[in-house]
Amino acid sequence: MDNELLNNTLLVVLTSLVSLFYVVSVSLYGSDFFKGNTFAKTYKQPALIVTIVTHIAYIGFLTAPEGYRLNYSISMLMTMVALTLAVIYMFIEFSTKTEKTGFFILSFSAGAEILASILLFTSSGDGPSFSGLGIGIHLLAAIFSFSSIAIAGLYSFLYLLLFRQIKNNKFGFLFENLPNLEVLELLIKHAVAFGFLFLTITLLAGVIGSIQTSEIINLFDTRLIALVIIWMFYGFSLFIKKLFGWDTIHMAYLLIFLFVLTTTLILLMSIFSPTFHGLSF
Amino acid sequence: MNIISVGVNHKTAPIEIRERVSLSEVQAKEFLTNLIDDNIALEAMVLSTCNRTELYVVPGMAEVDGRYLKEYLIAFRNAHNEVRPEHFFNRFYCNTARHLFEVASAIDSLILGEGQILGQVKDGYRIAVEVQSAGILLTRLCHTAFSVAKKVKTKTKIMEGAVSVSYAAVELAQKIFSNLSMKKILLIGAGETGELAARHMFQKNARNIVITNRTLSKAEALAEELGTNQVLPYESYKEHLHEFDIIITAVSIKDYVLTEPELQQSMQKRRLKPVIILDLGLPRNVDPEIGKLKNMFLKDIDALKHIIDKNLELRRAELPKVQKIIDEELVGFGQWINTLKVRPTIVDLQSKFIEIKEKELERFRYKVSEEELKRMERLTDRILKKILHHPIKMLKAPVDTADTIPSRVNLVRNIFDLEEQNQRTK
Repeated sequence: MDNELLNNTLLVVLTSLVSLFYVVSVSLYGSDFFKGNTFAKTYKQPALIVTIVTHIAYIGFLTAPEGYRLNYSISMLMTMVALTLAVIYMFIEFSTKTEKTGFFILSFSAGAEILASILLFTSSGDGPSFSGLGIGIHLLAAIFSFSSIAIAGLYSFLYLLLFRQIKNNKFGFLFENLPNLEVLELLIKHAVAFGFLFLTITLLAGVIGSIQTSEIINLFDTRLIALVIIWMFYGFSLFIKKLFGWDTIHMAYLLIFLFVLTTTLILLMSIFSPTFHGLSF
Repeated sequence: MNIISVGVNHKTAPIEIRERVSLSEVQAKEFLTNLIDDNIALEAMVLSTCNRTELYVVPGMAEVDGRYLKEYLIAFRNAHNEVRPEHFFNRFYCNTARHLFEVASAIDSLILGEGQILGQVKDGYRIAVEVQSAGILLTRLCHTAFSVAKKVKTKTKIMEGAVSVSYAAVELAQKIFSNLSMKKILLIGAGETGELAARHMFQKNARNIVITNRTLSKAEALAEELGTNQVLPYESYKEHLHEFDIIITAVSIKDYVLTEPELQQSMQKRRLKPVIILDLGLPRNVDPEIGKLKNMFLKDIDALKHIIDKNLELRRAELPKVQKIIDEELVGFGQWINTLKVRPTIVDLQSKFIEIKEKELERFRYKVSEEELKRMERLTDRILKKILHHPIKMLKAPVDTADTIPSRVNLVRNIFDLEEQNQRTK
């Protein structure tokens, strides 16, 4: 058997279990959102916490043979995206006391985790593991950044959806169940703030990591340029409202654009720059 | 023992008829007193609201039926010329209970799930208690109805969502702004509609409400009543439009009170921060073109009716849940009614055994000491309690049909040789 994972029963069980837990959490959030189910309303948060704890334990088991170092395989990155999305969402849910958007965010988490599991079962390679604290923080912060960008994009989409529905007198299901426009705006602000913080850490940790490994920083490196562009856009979006009087509608369009841009850039870089940040299947 | 309900409501009669038979509190008291004094009713209650006048009666004589009660009410209100028995509904026994449960739960109301009816049913019961026309049966019926209404309110969504234009306006505002207490509201027009909307806003913690009206004294009076004490002269409110997050207009005027250029200017001043304009006037008070401005939510009565229709649809979807609660409570109430029928037999049974006990103990009164007699009495009490436990339990046990009760009662009466049952109702 090429895939070593399949020989480890505990890891096989945990891999399946984590995906299952995500599906259960999404189902509970969905059942509460769409059907107002009391059971789902009561148990969705505990289910999410159990999912996150199990997921962290799972990553611990998965990386134990490599001395708890993450590697750059696409399955590892996908599972980390799933985890960070869930963690950031949970933090936003607790800090804003808004629990009606979980279905939309966690659906992405569940999708990413299921994809990660499938890739883990079908692939034979692991991809290179990173070494050094700086580069480790760089990678983690980058994953958190991407998740924040994704969440900001998704909330922006929900904001636009609700805004249009109210404008057009369509007082249907989403009008009934989504948080109000001001709350969605607050959620966007939180996600953007997280995103900017993690992007800054990604940038700094990347530089420190390069210094640690005596790598010469190439200012024309496409990855660096892309990261700086996204970082600047995010920083810009934090102050754009105050500086230029942009309304939330324009902000929402910008954040959706940034999410699409970031995803596209990551995909392009993974295709055209196979070394270091390259993703191993 | 039967319970009859007769009455007129929005389903059976037009408003002119409902008005003719409606009873004020004083009239209701007089009517109930007459029913009891004339031995027409053993128990009686009146429920009189703007949409219904209904009687709930435990008849006092065999000839008292639905028709009798209808005629009695028509005669009391001297409404023979306008009101006919066909305008009334008529229900008996379990259907009466079901009807009151439906009324108290607000599923029989003109506006499904409206919140006032339970208070009105409670008022009806209070009046009956005050004139002492509510006995054991109506008391139990009303308390079960209150409990049904409470369950319906907590376990279903029948009362959720706005179903009036002014409340829908508030619901919409809450879908845009999270905290109305932080928002500045302008009310243009201090008439009934505007006042209602302002009150709903106030209930949702809006405190920064500024009122303007052509007659300033009316604006001042409403502002004082709401406790906001903020008014703007009608001539100058347009200079302050940019300060407000929510503008409610409810004035009777042909021309628009707000025009597109005015609002465009105000939006620029407030740097495009969202504004809701709720146009509750008829004809409309606000230029519809304003709705096309950026971040401007202009909603007139038609738009708000969309919210009302959607909410009513959601309420209608809750009806099966409400009916299920009513059905469950109806079973419990029916079983309680059945225990009323066996109560005389239980009393007779207990009396008979107590009599036997006392006779037997009397024989020993002078043969044993007083202390020993007390011990014997305690012993016989314990034995009697155990002997009677099962027959009483059997009598009180739930039945599938009311027909089973007489056979049970007869069985117990024959076995224990009880005298012929009195026609007791208590």
